[in-house]
Amino acid sequence: MKNLDSVLAAYLAGWAIFFLYYVSVARRMSNLRDEVERLKGLLSKRK
Amino acid sequence: MGLLSNTAVLLGKELRTEFRSRELLTTTVVFILVVVVLFSFTFDPTSSESRRFGPGLLWLSFLFAASLMLQPCFLREQNNDTLSALRLSVSDPFAIFLAKLVANTVFLLLTEVLMLPIFAVLYNVHILPVLAQLVLVFLLGSLGVAIPGTAFSAISAQARMRELMLPLLLLPLLTPVLIASTESTAGLLDANPELRWAWLGFLAGFDVVFLTALWLFGEYLLEE
Amino acid sequence: MVKSIIKAVILFALIAATAYIAFNYAPIEKSMGVIQKIFYIHIACAFSAFVAFGTCFYANVRYVFTRQAKADWLGVAAAEVGLMFILVVLITGPIWAHPVWGIWWTWDARLTLTFVLGLLYVSYLLLRSMIEEPDKRALFSALFGIFAFLDVPLVYFSIRWWRTQHPQPVILGGAGSGLEPRMRVAYLLMWGALTGLLILLMNARYKLEALRASVEELRREAEVQ
Repeated sequence: MKNLDSVLAAYLAGWAIFFLYYVSVARRMSNLRDEVERLKGLLSKRK
Repeated sequence: MGLLSNTAVLLGKELRTEFRSRELLTTTVVFILVVVVLFSFTFDPTSSESRRFGPGLLWLSFLFAASLMLQPCFLREQNNDTLSALRLSVSDPFAIFLAKLVANTVFLLLTEVLMLPIFAVLYNVHILPVLAQLVLVFLLGSLGVAIPGTAFSAISAQARMRELMLPLLLLPLLTPVLIASTESTAGLLDANPELRWAWLGFLAGFDVVFLTALWLFGEYLLEE
Repeated sequence: MVKSIIKAVILFALIAATAYIAFNYAPIEKSMGVIQKIFYIHIACAFSAFVAFGTCFYANVRYVFTRQAKADWLGVAAAEVGLMFILVVLITGPIWAHPVWGIWWTWDARLTLTFVLGLLYVSYLLLRSMIEEPDKRALFSALFGIFAFLDVPLVYFSIRWWRTQHPQPVILGGAGSGLEPRMRVAYLLMWGALTGLLILLMNARYKLEALRASVEELRREAEVQ
């Protein structure tokens, strides 16, 4: 079938954009969780 | 003091401030002139080409000029710390916005009308037979630019890189104004000039929508 | 953390499955051929983007009147995720257009509207990055978001009227053109999966913003002591 690769490219591109966005959010999330641990440790040490 | 008298007093202040130095008006007119001249290098300004591209470039240069001209609107208040004094002086905060947007519309309209004969000469278009109608289009279009422009001047004053933020916030939003004003102007500059009432009605509708939004949310824009 | 990964894997697998079903279950369109199948993801994403921006508007209004931080978190989550959906619409459109029309872009009414919509929400997110103080950032971006949303129908009408006066090739035809029942099922499946994706992504982004708020608070505490 002609143009099949275009269809696949479109669906793949869409899928990739959503997946990469999700991964970036998840990564920022774990970075922030580490930061929370660090700050909590700092505050408890001071007390 | 009622809304209208408050507005009148503040409007007087805005107009007096500008007409004392006239620096905003002169720099805006020169800016539009520069853009119009530069644009002329991008195509061959024969009569028919001018009719095709002229209205668009005219309104594009108005939009660019406005996004620069609207910067000082609230920035001046912030820099001189006069915003809280302004808010205390009126019972209805909407008066502040009403005064500023009327002043901005007047300034914009003045620069546009001043540019019109220059544009007509440089691009070989006939404006005299449709002068009054053109001014009507300019009035509605300028209102369309000034109403959200005044609101966003207050918003961008709170942000970093505000000189760039105001155009960034304003220009995409003004797409309908650009389209409607260009179409109306094109209709008037056409070989058979006609006043496109549908587009004018649309412009008026745009003005009403954003004036209402400004009335509903204006007081929050003034929070410090 | 593990739970969210499992949810994500399930959802993404579901979407892939849906796409495959849409692919094979729905018949091949007569005039356009296989390329018409891009239609399902293109239109479904556009619809989801509008849902996201409607949510953003709701959150913005809520914030202005209640000043609850949660509303601000919902606003930015909805705007960012909506922008991702817009990106997919703007990419799948030209991928469809090129084999069919031979050109990547026509200033087709719907695609132009989508572009302008994208620009408005890029401005919204940029504005947020330019205001440091959290309360101010929330308030002023909410106010801009409200104005931006009110502009959307005006942009839509003006572009459409303008396009009827200056016609161009229309990408993907009318929304309902030639929608055979099996195509309708495929479209609904696709839309269902993408709505699930919308909720998953907004939820994740919302939680991220909530976490960021608590980090800012902890930082402030650490500085004071």
